[in-house]
Amino acid sequence: MIVKYLIPLLAVLGVVTATRTVIETAQTSTPPPPTVEPARAPFDSYIAAAGIVEASSENVAIAALAPGVIVDVAVRVGARVAKGDALFQVDVRDLQAQLEVERAALAAAQARVERLRALPRIEDVRAAEARLIETQAALAEAREQLALAEAITDPRAMSREERTRRKAAVDTSAARESAAQAALDLQRDGAWGPDLAVAQAEVEQARARAEAVETQIERATVRAPIDGVVLKLNVRAGEYAPAGVLTQPLLVLGAVQVLHVRTDIDENDAWRFEPGARAVAFVRGNREIKANIEFDHVEPYVVPKRSLTGDSTERVDTRVLQAVYRFDPAAMDVYVGQQVDVFVEARPIGGAQ
Amino acid sequence: MSIATTTAVSLRGIKKSYGEGEARVTALRGVDLEVRSGELMMLVGPSGCGKTTLISVIAGILDADEGACSVFGREMHALSGSSKTLWRGATLGFVFQAFNLLPSLTAAENVAVPLLLRDVPRARAVERATEMLARVGLGDRARSRPNQLSGGQQQRVAIARALVHEPKLIVCDEPTSALDHHTGASVMELMREVALGGDRTLIVVTHDARIFSYADRIAAMDDGQVTKVVRSSNEL
Amino acid sequence: MNFVALAMLVGDRAKYIGILIGITFASLLITQQSSIFTGIMSRTYAAITDLPTPDVWVMDEKVQYIDDLKPLQDTELYRVRGVEGVEWATPLYKGLLKARLANGNFQSCVVVGVDDATLIGAPIEMVQGRVEDLRQNDAVIVDEHSATGKLARVLPDGSRAPLRVGDALEVNDHRGVVVGICKVSRTFQSQPVIYTTFSRATTFAPRERKLLSFVLAKAKPGVDPHELCARIQRATGLTAHTGEDFKWVTMRYFLKYTGIPINFGMSVLLGFLVGTIIAGQTFFNFTLDNLRHFGALKAMGATNWRLVKMILLQALLVGTIGWALGVGGAAAFGRLTANTELAFRMPWQLLGVSGGAVLIICSISALICIWKVARLEPAIVFKG
Repeated sequence: MIVKYLIPLLAVLGVVTATRTVIETAQTSTPPPPTVEPARAPFDSYIAAAGIVEASSENVAIAALAPGVIVDVAVRVGARVAKGDALFQVDVRDLQAQLEVERAALAAAQARVERLRALPRIEDVRAAEARLIETQAALAEAREQLALAEAITDPRAMSREERTRRKAAVDTSAARESAAQAALDLQRDGAWGPDLAVAQAEVEQARARAEAVETQIERATVRAPIDGVVLKLNVRAGEYAPAGVLTQPLLVLGAVQVLHVRTDIDENDAWRFEPGARAVAFVRGNREIKANIEFDHVEPYVVPKRSLTGDSTERVDTRVLQAVYRFDPAAMDVYVGQQVDVFVEARPIGGAQ
Repeated sequence: MSIATTTAVSLRGIKKSYGEGEARVTALRGVDLEVRSGELMMLVGPSGCGKTTLISVIAGILDADEGACSVFGREMHALSGSSKTLWRGATLGFVFQAFNLLPSLTAAENVAVPLLLRDVPRARAVERATEMLARVGLGDRARSRPNQLSGGQQQRVAIARALVHEPKLIVCDEPTSALDHHTGASVMELMREVALGGDRTLIVVTHDARIFSYADRIAAMDDGQVTKVVRSSNEL
Repeated sequence: MNFVALAMLVGDRAKYIGILIGITFASLLITQQSSIFTGIMSRTYAAITDLPTPDVWVMDEKVQYIDDLKPLQDTELYRVRGVEGVEWATPLYKGLLKARLANGNFQSCVVVGVDDATLIGAPIEMVQGRVEDLRQNDAVIVDEHSATGKLARVLPDGSRAPLRVGDALEVNDHRGVVVGICKVSRTFQSQPVIYTTFSRATTFAPRERKLLSFVLAKAKPGVDPHELCARIQRATGLTAHTGEDFKWVTMRYFLKYTGIPINFGMSVLLGFLVGTIIAGQTFFNFTLDNLRHFGALKAMGATNWRLVKMILLQALLVGTIGWALGVGGAAAFGRLTANTELAFRMPWQLLGVSGGAVLIICSISALICIWKVARLEPAIVFKG
């Protein structure tokens, strides 16, 4: 019985097990549709390229004119600004202090000029006049004394020495009177012209210094060079803003009334590229969002490819032709800096001739 | 129907030898024998006298080297290999000394084998085999296997097998030598009763003298020749 | 007579089981060894079959197999995209990077970077988490086997705590956060597989000029992938294979340059020989034992052709049962070892292979017996 039935039963079981295993082996799980459908070219023959959205003005990286700590940021990210609007301001307290100093110096110079202009001083004239009168009086007295001596002819009544002394006193007093007269004349004449000119030049110099500081203060406020939108704001009050070219700009400004797509076309495909050919850009992540883009210009200089995708390190392994397209921001909802897949209609590869 | 006059088997100058060259053994040296339809002919003689070779020739299993062998009027040497086999299946029944029942088949199935060989459907063949078993007195043992039966019962099954397809000639090779005397006798009685009906002919090879009495005629053989044909064992 | 033949065979229990053991052994060994061989081979190209979405794989012309990484220039992606008939094309990064485990050990892992936007190339079967979670910061997806095995944390008591969603791991000194566990086929070298996005994979990877391992492309509806491959090759000078072709390219490499096929071929041959000898010998013994009965049947009117049919039927029976037991045993073995490192893969063709082998074994055995029976003189039945 065992032999007759058990073995065939086992055999059937064996076939069933084997069949099940075979069927399970053969079952390949069907792939689920991709999470996001990749973009599909709407043309029969085309060039595919990576594009990056940028402002029509290109993206303006705003730099600080003078380095310093930022005290005030006047705009927010995304704000529309007009040409000349203040964007942010660097700390200027040191310059302001310096301005005060310069202004004081200017005032001092001006005062000096005023003083020169106000001469002669009346009190000094009067003192000189008094001094003149005094010396005149002394001269008269000396002359009187000499006349007296000369009147005395008796050599014994008056020594020769006395007589000589009285003569000298008259000369001295006369010189003093002349000096007093000259001093009075000086006082009466007032400031000397060249002195005044020097003083006035000093005033001009002080004024120029003050204005230079004022310009520096004015320069500390960075203003928008174009009408546009603040695309990127990397500064906050309190941060240090260095001057010069930065890898990360302080503030990025761009005109976004029209957007551009900068498209990298592999040099191997460049011969197929025709300016003005139709092109479509697809937003990554949703191929439903797309826009027909219009040819704007091509940069005729083929540049080393900077990896637009992913890593920031430059991998110079090929060169690319950059074609720039424009589109109306209303046609496709994208942000500046976003990557897009671009398809440009081109002649077929086989059609080289 | 005239029993005594029709000839079932007719042998004229049958010669048969085996082997080649020095190893050549001559089994039959010119046998003339006539077996009549409806009789039970026994072939007796010492071992090696050629009895087995002779029935092999009669049964169409061996071809004679010389001489004519005609069975029911058919010349054996005129039949080709496979047609001879088919003729044998239709015309002959065999009872072997060692019964030769298939151990894995039941009694009824064993009996049915000759019918199955003639492409009778299995159910019908087993049904007829069971009937035949009843006729040999084993109606209740149809589902037994050979190893569950005694020697006598096995030989009865073998007889039923030899009869089931209604052959005209039954060849028995030492049917009783594996059985005791009593069983042997009952087997021979059964043969006479059941097998020898109508114009059926039996040829029994034996050297068991105790069953000579069941024969119609006895052909004594020695050294490849039939020495004499007698009516009863007393004449041997 | 068919049932007589079968009854004869089944009735001789010892011989019957003996023949079955021979054939079963051969069938089992052939199927099992072939399955392991197929399993190992399938691991070599598992990364390809795990990714059925793209039609075409584009690679450097010198790439010989899937792990033979010769990266392309980034712009090749766009050139492939520009080929006529390409529906889409996405980048795929594949690299071997070192991950540092919590216990300080290093484990080299296969890092796969899939397209950032579409996530094409990401695993298909997720156990935990979602594929979309790859968009999260530092996100990686690890495969289930390694999450519980090679990448698992070893606790102080020696047990292993599987990596779970939210755990961090360090890939080439970069931080990765597990956001999902996926199911992938084992790789040939059994390395853990870490999925992430292409751009993140490039930051994980050491600085190299080229990091684009493959470009995966899909043919437009109605475009024949083979035709597309030829077109891509013409247009870009790169090599393009369909997934199926790439699988064969990979497999041919392993067949040619490793000793694996010879080893398994020997096992299969041994199974075949031993099976043939056991089964043939026993079947022959069985026939010899039954020669008496065959003689009796022949005497009773069974033609040679009928006996041949009986023997063929017997051979067919033991062949079928033995084959069934063998493939069943092999399949059971495969199911029992499904969760171990053992590679086991049983496609339907293997059933055919073992069936063919068994057929040959049975035919050889049956031929010997038929030869013996056909030459049988039925006269032997008259000799006691």
